[in-house]
Formats: sequence, C-alpha cells, structure tokens
Amino acid sequence: MASTTIGRADVSRRNNVRVSGNSNGRPIVFAHGFGCSQEVWRDVLPHFEERFKVVAFDHVGAGGSDVDAYDRGKYDSLSGYADDLLEILETENLRDVVYVGHSVSSMIGVVAANQDPSRFGSLVLVGPSPRYVNDGDYLGGFEQEDIDDLLDSLDANYLGWSASMAPVIMGNAERPELGETLTTSFCRIDPAIAGQFARVTFLSDNRRDLGAVTVPTLVLQCTDDVIAPLAVGRFVHEHIPGSRFHLLAATGHVPNISGPDELAEAILDYLR
Amino acid sequence: MTIAERPEVELDPADGGASYEELYEQAPCGFLSLSLDGTIVRVNQTLLDWTGHERSALLGASIRTLLAPGSQIFYETRFVPVLGLEGRAREVAFELRRADGSSLHVLTNSDVVGTDDQAQVRMAVFDSTQRHTYERDLVDARRRAEASEARVRVLQDATSVFAGCVTVDDVAEALVQIARDAFAATEASVMLMHESGQLYIAAGTHPLLPFLPANTLERGSEAIRRDEVFLLSSLEEADAFRTDVGQSMRQARIEAISATPIQSEGGLFGVLHCSFGRSREFDAAFLQLNQALARQASQIIARLTLQAELAHQAMHDQLTGLANRTLLQESVDEAIADSGRLGVPLAVLFVDLDGFKAVNDHLGHVIGDSTLTSVAARLRDHVRATDVVGRFGGDEFVVVCPHTDEASAEAVAERLRAEIGRPIGGVPSQYPVTASIGIALWEPSADADSVDPDTLFRVADEAMYRCKNAGKDCVTLVRV
Repeated sequence: MASTTIGRADVSRRNNVRVSGNSNGRPIVFAHGFGCSQEVWRDVLPHFEERFKVVAFDHVGAGGSDVDAYDRGKYDSLSGYADDLLEILETENLRDVVYVGHSVSSMIGVVAANQDPSRFGSLVLVGPSPRYVNDGDYLGGFEQEDIDDLLDSLDANYLGWSASMAPVIMGNAERPELGETLTTSFCRIDPAIAGQFARVTFLSDNRRDLGAVTVPTLVLQCTDDVIAPLAVGRFVHEHIPGSRFHLLAATGHVPNISGPDELAEAILDYLR
Repeated sequence: MTIAERPEVELDPADGGASYEELYEQAPCGFLSLSLDGTIVRVNQTLLDWTGHERSALLGASIRTLLAPGSQIFYETRFVPVLGLEGRAREVAFELRRADGSSLHVLTNSDVVGTDDQAQVRMAVFDSTQRHTYERDLVDARRRAEASEARVRVLQDATSVFAGCVTVDDVAEALVQIARDAFAATEASVMLMHESGQLYIAAGTHPLLPFLPANTLERGSEAIRRDEVFLLSSLEEADAFRTDVGQSMRQARIEAISATPIQSEGGLFGVLHCSFGRSREFDAAFLQLNQALARQASQIIARLTLQAELAHQAMHDQLTGLANRTLLQESVDEAIADSGRLGVPLAVLFVDLDGFKAVNDHLGHVIGDSTLTSVAARLRDHVRATDVVGRFGGDEFVVVCPHTDEASAEAVAERLRAEIGRPIGGVPSQYPVTASIGIALWEPSADADSVDPDTLFRVADEAMYRCKNAGKDCVTLVRV
C-alpha cells in the first residue's frame, strides 16, 4: 500500500511531477521507460492536452527527479517504483486514470494496478515485456549474458563520458561550463542508478502478475521491436484477461520518438 | 595496418589528392547512413573491411544486425530516445558483430540530417578496440575496488553506529538499517530471543509474517535450527523448501530471503532476516559481510546484556529479587519529588516479620530463606504495578506507595498483613509468621513540598515498633 504520510509537495519533487492540459479533463499519466526520462513523451503529450489532464513524471534517478530519494532496497524491484506511482495518483488525487506506461513502466503500471486498482480506469502498455530473459519455452528475446553485456555497455558509455550519453549529476562545481551543457542535455540518468535500474528492468519476471490484472488494458506493440518482440506482446495480450491488442506501424522500441502521432492516435482511438 | 596493406587508390593531384568517393569509401573511419527506423541505406568500404560483411548483406538490413545483444538494448533504450530528442549523439560506444561472429568495439558520432521523410542518421564509426580493452580493465578494477571499499565502509560504519547504542533495541534498529543499505534489501528485520527461547520482532519489518501461520515465530527460525545462514534465492527454491513459504513470498512480493543467526562467542541472540524483491544469487561476499555484521551486532548485544545484568544485580536483592536499599532510596526520592510536584500524598510501609527468628533458628536457613522468598512474592503480588517493594535487610521489607492517601494506605497494609499471615509451605503451624506494618504518610503542603527520605523511613520504622509493642500482627499509621 502506498504510504499516506508523504505529502503532495514531497512526491511532486521526488518524481518531478508535471501537470498540463485540461485541468477538468480525465487524468492521463505518462511513465517513461529505462534509459530516458519524461522528455521521451515530448511529441506525444500535445495530442492529449486539450481534452485530458496530462500528468508526466520521472522515475527516481532519471530526468529532474530527486536523486537523494534513491533507496537501493526500495528500488531493487518494480514494487518500489509501483509504490511511487500509487503515491503520485494519491497525492494528485487522480481517479479513473488512463495510465500509459512505456517499456518497463508498463509492468510498473501492472504491479501498481494489481496492488490498488481503485484509481485506474485504463492501462495502456507500450512495448511491454513481462520478462526479457528466455526461460524454457518462453522466449523473452535475451539471454542472461546479453543483460551482462548491456551493463558493460552502460559502463563503456559512462566511462567514456560522452556528452549526450553520459549522465550528469557528478560534482561539476569546478567546471560550471560542463554543468551548463549537461543540464541542457536530454534524458539525464544517474549512472549508478542506471546500472541497478537496468538489472531491475531486464532481470525481473512479472509473468504471473498479468493474469491478476482487472483494469481494462490496451497492449500496443511496435513493428520490429527487438526489445519486446511481437511474440512477447502477444503473450502479454493473451495473459491479461479481456485486453485489447494493437500493432503499430512504428518500428523499434520507442514509438514515442519514431511515431508519436500514430501512438497518440492509437491511444485516443482506444479511449473513444 | 602495414604499408604493404595500404589500400590501392589513385591519387589525382588536381582533386586535392583523391576523389570524394575515394575519401568516403576508404576513409580511416567507418560511415553508415541510416533511415530513421535504423535501416542501413549506405555503408563505406572501411566498415565492410572491418566487419567482414558484404555490402549487399548490410544494405536494407537493420543496424541491429550489426549490434551485439547488449548494444542492441542500449541502442533502443538510450541511443534512439536521445538521438530523437537532441538530433545528435557523440562518443557513443557500441559492440559490433563481425560476419564471423567476433566482436568489434567502436565509438560513434551520429547526426540527424534532413527533415521528416527525408531525414537520415549519419554515423561515423571509430575502431576503439584498444581503448575498449583498456577501459574494460579500468572498469573491472574500479568495480572490484568499489565493491571491497563498500564492504569495508559498511563494517566501519556499523562499528561506529553500534558503539553509540545504549540498549539492545538500539542495536536491533541499527542492524536493520545497515543491512537494508548494505544488501539493497527491500525489507530487513531483527528477531531476538526471549529468555524462553521464543523469538520476537525487535526492529524492522518481516513482510512474510502476515501471510504465514500465526505460530511461525514460536516455531523458531530455520537459521537457528541449522546453526548457519539460511538462504532462499528464488521462488522455486522457496516452493521446494515449503509450499507455504513460497506462497507467502508471492503474496508479499518477495522473491528471495536470507536469515542469519546473530551469534558470536558471547552467545546466540536471534536472527537477522532480509527480504529481497527479486530473486538473487548470494555470493561469498554477501555471506561474509552478512555474517560479519551479525557477529558484530551479537558482540554488542552480549556486552549490553551483561551490563544490564550487572546494573540489575547492583540494585536488587539476590535472594528475593526485590529492590535493595540503594534502589529503595532512589524510588523514595523520586516518589517524594512526584508527590511534591503533583500535590498528592505518599505512603511508605515498613513491614517487619513476627516469628521469623524462631523459623530460622529451629527450622534452619533453607526454610528461613524460602519463607523470605514466599513473603516477597506475596508482597509483590498484592500491590499496584507503580508501587515499589524492597528488602530493607534481614526480615524487614519496605513498600513505597506513590499517590496513596490514608485510607488506601491502611487498606493496602491490611491486605499485606493478611496475606503474610496465611500458612507458608514448609513451615509447621507451631511457628506462625505474621507481619507488623508501620506506615509513614506524608502529604505535601504549601509550606513543605518536600521531605527528607530518612524521615519517612524513621517514622515508618517507629510506627512498626508501636505494632510490636501493641502485640504484633497489626497496622499502625503515623502522619509525618
């Protein structure tokens, strides 16, 4: 259960909660996936702002979130992120929420909605995968070694300190000009947190949560998505009772970037 | 590349030495042009040479076919969003797959050019094999250094935190915090043992308990039964261990647990229990640190327990377990201060046994001692929890009754007199034991909000002697 002792301002600061659009409209909440921040919704949100109360936020460790709120124990599983989501819905007092979760945030939404379905009206899962690592007959698309390679890849990029891939946040007091460029870069993530978030994202197994979903659900599957392949999207659809499935023409794993208009249209169509 | 391997190119002095096509194809870096969805639309000869792929195999294929799986994930989850938002990405490291399956580590710079349907990604690719090997070594060394530094820091921090603990509960709280942080545990709890051996939660949260049978703590801990760390690293292991444990873990959204005896040469005090939200492989480093922390905590608990025992012994009578004179003195001081502050009366009862000398002389010290123990128990059982019962010496007892007026004091004294007068096991009826009880009753006034404690003891003692003179086995009250 989400704690009730934490206030709206605390949650808002912790998760950099941004509210826009029609304050009287139905609330729609956007949650970003691993590797990015709420900025990934940049070209999607304008489609909703006329009719909906649009809420976007950053997971702790990403974007403009409060990195000091990071707790390695709490965020070692998706439950910690789900607790944060429930606290956002509670402190913003949102009901009948349309929750749009991209990538790992689709499973965060499933965990949260199973824990407390009362505030959710619809779940929209964009490129969901309940388990990335193959397991017997189940083909998630990756082997354990591939995930280890990803962690190496994160290290290679953070050690290389490249301007756009590298994270921020380390002490830039002596080099303010560096801080300047970094704070304007997109999708900031804290490197130490990114490593743990990668493990939590790619090594979790949420298959058993799918059958417990009671909130009406739309599964949005991209074309040629190697992270969440078609068979995995179908698996999610088949295991969430009464869910709907829609295949997007947008390719890759990030339709928010590769096909924001089509993505928005598919969601609006489902809600019509 | 040796001189003999130099690509054969025709240098045309009029064109600055080379054609633009030659500059592109034979450049000392790879070039890729991609459509926005990652389809390769152009690739230069250098990259084909490096990777061993045929041009025809790459054109029209996805960039992903060139990427090792770890890099595919990084490409999709990090590179694509950043490139899409920012229009460029600099110094991004990827691992490429050559046609023969081997790896090529590269650094890339990418720009998005053109707009809308015409937009393309242009990527320059630099071989960074040597740099990668070097960085790999650095990363490995850094990871090892960080891991051992983190372990040392945990133990050092634990030492200083434990040193500041005053009670066993402080130690339990501290151990929970330290363990949660050190092991990234979703929850941690410390279960300690009562003297009976029964476990109780001293600090933290044990998320499985609400879903396990009510007598779970009574049944004890697997870690204590096995006398070693008990681990369940996945739900499958939990199911194989006990189905109700696996079930409780599912309900609590816990996928792995560790339970470590809190134990050292100083004794066994309980269990450190950690719950993890994901399945986990417990390595040697985890076990070592876990046991080291539990050991540290148990040493501190042993010290605090001994201190508490010594402090208790210094304040209590060894035979009866009642307060001794030192503690009685303190209790009376406190009671006087409270009475003065609250403006309520205070009673001090002086209880002297009648007939005890005969019991001791004729029946021996063993029966004498058991008589004193019985009397002590009756006194303790028939006063309020806030009253203090002490042994003043020999067969003299004192009861301090805060917030007690004349009528209540007499009622308490009568009750105690009657209780003591009942037959005592092992003492024949020809040796009756009764009590003479003197009461000093003090009530604070505007003139006197305090009183000398010795005065209270003396007045109570004098009142008791009046009982003795009046034929014993009675109660006398004197106002101070």
